[in-house]
Amino acid sequence: MSVESRGLFDEVSLSNTRLRTIALYVGLYGTAALFLIPYWYMFATSFMTRDLVYAEVPYLIPWDLTLYWYEYLLTNSLIVQWTVNTVILAGITTAVVILVDAMIAYSLTRLEWPGRRAIFAVIVASFMVPGIVNLVPVYIIVSELGLVNSVWGVVLPSAANPLGVFMLVQFFKDIPEELEEAARLDGFSRLRIFTHIVLPLMRSALAALGLFIFIWTWNAFVWPLLIFQSDAMYTLPIGLVTLQDNLGVTEPGVIMTSAVVASVPLLLVFLVMQRHLVRAVEMQGTTK
Amino acid sequence: MAQATQQTDANADESGPVDLSESSVRELLAGGTFALPYLLIAGTFLFGPLLLALYMSFHDWNALDPAQSQFIGLENYRVLLSDPDFWNALRNTVYFVVLTVPPIVIGSLFLALGVNRDVKGKWLLRTIFFSPYVLTVAVVGLLWTEIFSASGLVPYYVGGGNWLTDHQLAMPAIAIATIWWQLAFNFIILLAARQNVSDRLYEAAKLDGASTWRMMRDITIPQMQNPLIFVVIVTFVGSFQVFGQPFIMTDGGPSFSTTTIVLYLYDTAFTGRQFGYAAAVGYVLFMILIAVSATSYYFLGGDNR
Repeated sequence: MSVESRGLFDEVSLSNTRLRTIALYVGLYGTAALFLIPYWYMFATSFMTRDLVYAEVPYLIPWDLTLYWYEYLLTNSLIVQWTVNTVILAGITTAVVILVDAMIAYSLTRLEWPGRRAIFAVIVASFMVPGIVNLVPVYIIVSELGLVNSVWGVVLPSAANPLGVFMLVQFFKDIPEELEEAARLDGFSRLRIFTHIVLPLMRSALAALGLFIFIWTWNAFVWPLLIFQSDAMYTLPIGLVTLQDNLGVTEPGVIMTSAVVASVPLLLVFLVMQRHLVRAVEMQGTTK
Repeated sequence: MAQATQQTDANADESGPVDLSESSVRELLAGGTFALPYLLIAGTFLFGPLLLALYMSFHDWNALDPAQSQFIGLENYRVLLSDPDFWNALRNTVYFVVLTVPPIVIGSLFLALGVNRDVKGKWLLRTIFFSPYVLTVAVVGLLWTEIFSASGLVPYYVGGGNWLTDHQLAMPAIAIATIWWQLAFNFIILLAARQNVSDRLYEAAKLDGASTWRMMRDITIPQMQNPLIFVVIVTFVGSFQVFGQPFIMTDGGPSFSTTTIVLYLYDTAFTGRQFGYAAAVGYVLFMILIAVSATSYYFLGGDNR
């Protein structure tokens, strides 16, 4: 980046390292500023009066503030209902995935039964399958089961998460066997060992996976779009997109405000639990 | 890690079938019970559908009455290969992949290496670069639709009118939105990978008077080879499957210039109700993805480690 300007600046007697530091800061903070512009635009527009929104110049500073768009959304759309739906859907999915994935991960690492290694290999291989190949057949199966327009139609197809199994297996392996053996000598059943010893020990890994699944489900688009067929069932992402169509004219104020409503909860969760989410993503990077 | 446990497991597995004592039966029962929910769900919604899709792709699938479906062999695949709409979708998708993969991979690498340096406000930078990760594609799509629309930021400051109704500019607009959104994941992976490279290597290189570029070429890149391959493949596979952004921002237009393969698959299936044909499109995409992954793995020297 700084190759061209180096010669020029050397004459002004700036040292090479100094120059590089400046380039580094300009590059990083410049990119960061570019990254923030869309957010700023979204927030700013949501508070602008209609005059500003429709002005010739796309204003970045809302000097004339209003809550009009927020009121408009609350009274003219089901956005509250959609938010509730999304929270419920993401909550159920997260709970189911954690339970189902933790159970099989425990079974694969801690219990001895023939064929489990083959099954683990198949599970690992299955996260190479792009979801899109399954789009049509899963839709058919879901509709055969009568789950179209039901929460389970979205929860069940994503309930067996191979990535989650893989991540948890790595963690279960690191739990010392002695703990379990001691519990067994004390007459603990398998179930009791699982719920009272293994799961509590895994709290941080489960939190990371749970957070990842929650965000992932909150944001899911294709499945809810196919499965939910009534306004009252929609999740936020689907609601937002239909909002644009239903209002006839595209109202930038409404769109930006709905985008704020859909993303602020997640951005807050992200800010508070960033560490866990980073961890969940890093775990994915080590899968190969 | 996997190796070690497999070693110890081997004995237990071998003795399993021979020694059918009460305890091993109980072990099998417990193992099966804990594995069952996952296996049932995965069988119904993951492995089953994969086979069903293959089966469907050989049929003229009757959406209303599947029993009436006719076996037509490879006909769907044959039609597909001579279908100009499919080729258009494939071309658009490849164009999108070319526009997004290099900037995402190179951009996230540079940002990760930069943030790893001794800069002030690392935490802030990391938060900013990672934050788009938590956004839904619906928000990303709508937000950038506004930015590129006739009265939006980009046409005003950069020019070009409404990018999304422009033949030439619609796909680049979708690509820019995607880069902003997808850089985050790769950034975090590469940042973690960079932090795992031992500082000693750099100290030794510095003593030898190696330049920054030299260290990057001979230490950083080789040490980060596996995460880099992972990032390249994941980005490739993700970009090939792009759906939400064009669906929301352009709905495939103007005049099909942003219709990608998945958008095409979605339309043939859920608008045209040609389920068998859509399944064939899905399988062709699957084959392409496997080929692309294998090729990148091979060319990036995935086995040399």
